[in-house]
Amino acid sequence: MKLSAGLIGVAVVGVIALNASLFVVSQTNQALVLQFGKPVRVEQDPGLKFKMPFVQNVEFYDKRLIDFDAESKEVIAADQKRLIVDAFVRYRITDPLRFKQTVADEMTMRSRLNAILESSLRQVIGGLPLSEVISEQRAEIMQSIKNLVNAQARGIPVEGAENVTKGGFGIEVVDVRIKRADLPPANSEGIYKRMQTEREQEAAEFRAKGAEDAQKIRSQADKERTILLAEARRKAEILRGEGDSAATKIFAASFGQDEEFFNFYRTMQAYKKTLSQDDTTLILSPDSDFLKYIDKASPAAGR
Amino acid sequence: MAWGDKGGFDGGGPWGRPTGGGNQQQPSGGETPPGGGPDFDEWVRISQQKFQQMFPGGGDSKKGIALVFAILLVLWMASGIYIVKADEQGVVLRFGAYDRTTGAGVNYHLPYPIETVATPRVTVINRVEVGTRSGMSSRKGGETSIPEESLMLTGDENIIDINFEVQWKISDAPNFLFNIRGPEETVRAVSESAMREVIGSTRIATVLAEGKLQVEQNTRKLIQDTLDHYNAGIEIVRVNLLKADPPAQVIDAFRDVQTARADMETSRNEADKYRKDIIPKARGQAEQMILEAEAYKQEVIARAQGEASRFASVYKEYAQARDVTKKRMYLETMESILQGMNKVIVDGKNSQGVLPYLPLPELKAKSTEGDKQ
Repeated sequence: MKLSAGLIGVAVVGVIALNASLFVVSQTNQALVLQFGKPVRVEQDPGLKFKMPFVQNVEFYDKRLIDFDAESKEVIAADQKRLIVDAFVRYRITDPLRFKQTVADEMTMRSRLNAILESSLRQVIGGLPLSEVISEQRAEIMQSIKNLVNAQARGIPVEGAENVTKGGFGIEVVDVRIKRADLPPANSEGIYKRMQTEREQEAAEFRAKGAEDAQKIRSQADKERTILLAEARRKAEILRGEGDSAATKIFAASFGQDEEFFNFYRTMQAYKKTLSQDDTTLILSPDSDFLKYIDKASPAAGR
Repeated sequence: MAWGDKGGFDGGGPWGRPTGGGNQQQPSGGETPPGGGPDFDEWVRISQQKFQQMFPGGGDSKKGIALVFAILLVLWMASGIYIVKADEQGVVLRFGAYDRTTGAGVNYHLPYPIETVATPRVTVINRVEVGTRSGMSSRKGGETSIPEESLMLTGDENIIDINFEVQWKISDAPNFLFNIRGPEETVRAVSESAMREVIGSTRIATVLAEGKLQVEQNTRKLIQDTLDHYNAGIEIVRVNLLKADPPAQVIDAFRDVQTARADMETSRNEADKYRKDIIPKARGQAEQMILEAEAYKQEVIARAQGEASRFASVYKEYAQARDVTKKRMYLETMESILQGMNKVIVDGKNSQGVLPYLPLPELKAKSTEGDKQ
């Protein structure tokens, strides 16, 4: 039993020793091995790793893409318009040793990145008018901000960069994107007012256009109607004229045979037509042709 | 029992471990075996032999202890059994390093701490809402608008109120697990940035009217490209514009534009109605005028012909006995005229020098009497 107890003791010691000398670097991590606090090696590949027990200890750093959402910053564009910019950075720790030496932890990294981002935003956006920042050149602007941030994070001296850490922070900036690029609230009010008046203009224009079109359509219709009627009247007059002329011709041909008889005949007809009304009073002289026999009824009649 | 153990082990996977700080010590204790997976069986066999050597004498109590150890060993081995559901993928890590991806069904991984498994749900479509949060408010509809997210500047420097939703799913489980931290936040931040970029290059009228689909597609592509650049293992299924309105402050003005547009149509329609009313009427009137004229023409001609032929007939007879006929016609005419007429006969010779008095209105009144006289 003494032997087995000894064996168990050895096993326990062995387990403790193994525990102290093995560590796992996961897929999402990278590790820095320190000997009495002094970094001696970097483990970036995942898997089971060894270290000297008790003498060395391990610090882990994230290997994934790390997000950093910066606070909103007020930036002034080239045309003096103020702009609220909200941006985020995605970076990755590429050199844990460098990272530990320069910033030590993510909190410090954030504040450093914040400063770098702010200066980069000012530098890039400050050189451009507002409209370009908002619209057309957004992608290019983000690219150049990213390059600027990356250069400073890597410690490459760039023109306009204030706080370059020599050798960099051991990080790679994968992306910088502008989330929001808005005008300050005071300017928004101005925009609202402008939008309002623009819409009012548009509405007025639509209504006026409607009135204009309606007027046009009505006038056109009136014109068409007038032309239509005039044309019809013209045709009608022509037709009447044709009728009259044909009738005249017929009359002339017929009545022209004996003008004297026509006069008589037509006069008789006219008498009949015009004088046969009841309210006509005719004053006749006994001398008239029609009454001549009335006088002659006296003895003188025989004369 | 094995399942319970499995759950516990999986919970200790590398993605579950907090990695915020830098000062993390090696996490696990216990019997960490030497060597990698392939030698594991060998190691088990050897350790069993050693185990037997440790208790060479045999005996009941020793056998009992060995049995307990054997049972523990079996349980430990069994803890590697895990189930991947139909909507999941199993991602197996060996000592923290990615080893393999397994499909749905019952699978086995070497027990903790050698291998661990994560089973992300890869077919589930996740939603990220920007500009609004459903379920955050207790009020009706459960939607809360977030103006600082939803108000955006358009390309023509107008402000538009946009809510949208991004649907995403895991397209590559290992990338999703190992490459990005905070996938939900990443999708949200990238989506917001992409939507603002797209809206920033679009005119407000386009977004409000026919350009919605275009905005959705462009945004989707931009988000996808950015996430691919991150190797995020995320697929953007679709981007839905839930709302694209003018801001509340000016929405009345925008609505009035719609009303004005309708008013314009109404004015035009009314004018059209007027036109459609009067033109056919005028056409009818014109036709009537022409037809009347035609009728007149026919009538006049016909009457002329009639009168002419009547005259011709009469003239024919007249030519044979001129005087008699003329006399007869004269008398006949007089007869028919004077028949129904008031007549006054005044002898001009007898009343010479005296103006004869003729009470004309009286004559008229007594016309009937006069007839009798």
